[in-house]
Amino acid sequence: MALLEVKDLTSGYGELQILWGMNLEVEQGKLTALVGSNGAGKTTLLRAIVGQLFPWQGTVTFDGRDVSKLRPYTKAELGLIMVPEGRQLFTDMTVQENLEMGATPKHSRIHMDRNLAKVFDLFPRLRERAKQTAGTMSGGEQQMLAVARGIMSEPKILIIDELSLGLAPVLTLDLFQALRRLQREEGTTILLVEQNVRMALKVSDYAYVVSEGKVDFHGPSSEVENNPAVREAYLGI
Amino acid sequence: MNLDVLIASAVDGLLIGFVYGVAAMGLTLIFGVMDVINLAHGPLIAIGMFGVYEIFTYVGMNPYLALIIVAVVGLAVGVLVYFVAVHRVIDAPPLSSLLSTFSVNMMIIGVGTAILTTSAYNVDFSLPSLDTGPITVTGTRLAAALIAVGVTALLYAFLYRTRSGKYIRAVANNRQAAELMGIPSTRILALAFGIGTMLAMTAGGLIATILPINILAGGTYELKSFVIVVLGGLGNPLGALVGGLILGLIEGLVPVFMKTTWVPVLEFGLFILILLVMPQGLFGRKES
Ligand SMILES: Nc1ncnc2c1ncn2[C@@H]1O[C@H](COP(=O)(O)OP(=O)(O)O)[C@@H](O)[C@H]1O
Ligand SMILES: [Mg+2]
Repeated sequence: MALLEVKDLTSGYGELQILWGMNLEVEQGKLTALVGSNGAGKTTLLRAIVGQLFPWQGTVTFDGRDVSKLRPYTKAELGLIMVPEGRQLFTDMTVQENLEMGATPKHSRIHMDRNLAKVFDLFPRLRERAKQTAGTMSGGEQQMLAVARGIMSEPKILIIDELSLGLAPVLTLDLFQALRRLQREEGTTILLVEQNVRMALKVSDYAYVVSEGKVDFHGPSSEVENNPAVREAYLGI
Repeated sequence: MNLDVLIASAVDGLLIGFVYGVAAMGLTLIFGVMDVINLAHGPLIAIGMFGVYEIFTYVGMNPYLALIIVAVVGLAVGVLVYFVAVHRVIDAPPLSSLLSTFSVNMMIIGVGTAILTTSAYNVDFSLPSLDTGPITVTGTRLAAALIAVGVTALLYAFLYRTRSGKYIRAVANNRQAAELMGIPSTRILALAFGIGTMLAMTAGGLIATILPINILAGGTYELKSFVIVVLGGLGNPLGALVGGLILGLIEGLVPVFMKTTWVPVLEFGLFILILLVMPQGLFGRKES
């Protein structure tokens, strides 16, 4: 059974419906990509998954449990962690403190020191910057911190919204590799939303293509990559 | 005019300034964390005053021990006020929380006036004064200032060294992100309101050891807190302490040169001036 399952999910903002019956399954231990053009409803879907928006209809099942109506902090405690779009760091706090805040769920708090060593190993730059105020770092460093803060929570699933937005290609590659390592070595399940469709399809195991609040197409990433419609619409071939 | 009078007035003003600072920290902490301007601040200060007064007068306990009880009760009162009056309007437009905290204000003042009337009370307690040649410092005033400094240090240690304190800062900085990390924001907001109230009531208790009190007196200190908070930068506790000292200094020194009735005129003149020329206050405000 899938670790995360979204079934016939509809939601939106106020009267405005954005999601029109979303269906999605994220397999345990896999890196799943979610791609689609700007405004397709990817972020809205993630918000409904983590509980920042309430689902209107449909269900979100996580680890065999219906979590549709839980608050984000309860879901975080269960191991459902999102690195939100725009990073949303604690900009007035230090890098170290941001990481400590990541280690809030009880199961992760007892391993905080070990996990700190792990993220510093994954992102050595953060170790150098540990005492710096998060808001004063460069965009790339902030994105590293956002991902590292998520890892500190020892997520069962790590959901990342727009990993590469606004980052230099080299940095993007670094981050992708860090995620790959996390998935391989720790078995962490990852759901990745990406603008960079080419890269997302390269690193992921499985992919969903969404447009206008619905899943258009899904399958193993290699298949999606070779789908003519996808190639034309997203890869410009 | 002689220099000794000037120094003595300045010292007196600065000492009470520390206490004003603690009161203002309560207001600014709550604003900084949840963008709520607590209009029940004054009456909560008054509860602190009468808490110390009643425990001292009827139980016979040392007022500084009574202050500890008042502080703990303050935390509980703040959490209660949060859940009764603030939580349901926490995400509503600002007017809602202004009205609901103002309602709490009216309720406390109404009940307080019914029980205590508006007459003045005195905590009949004194400490030996400190005589250093040119100036003599009242013992209770010095003690109040020292306690205020201690409270500030404790507040900072709490906010920067403990997990709960860091949660408060995280929620203040970005509540949505805090929730995504598993921080139970409702509990943390209630705790922050509790600590803000604790600071207000502690300041009230300290004032009761120095000056005569009445149930409406809290209002005066609430207004001072507003001036101080604007002076020190909204949402900035350390700024509040410095703002308190500045206000205390004005209060100490102005009467040396002109009638005491000029004090509020100058204080609020400064308030408006700061708003006009440097709305972030002297030490900057939190980003929102
Ligand atoms: N807070 C909001 N209120 C109203 N509409 C919103 C809000 N956030 C996003 N939208 C709208 O929802 C649609 C989907 O947005 P979003 O989920 O952010 O797309 P994506 O992440 O795929 O780019 C867009 O049309 C956007 O304008
Ligand atoms: Mg988006």
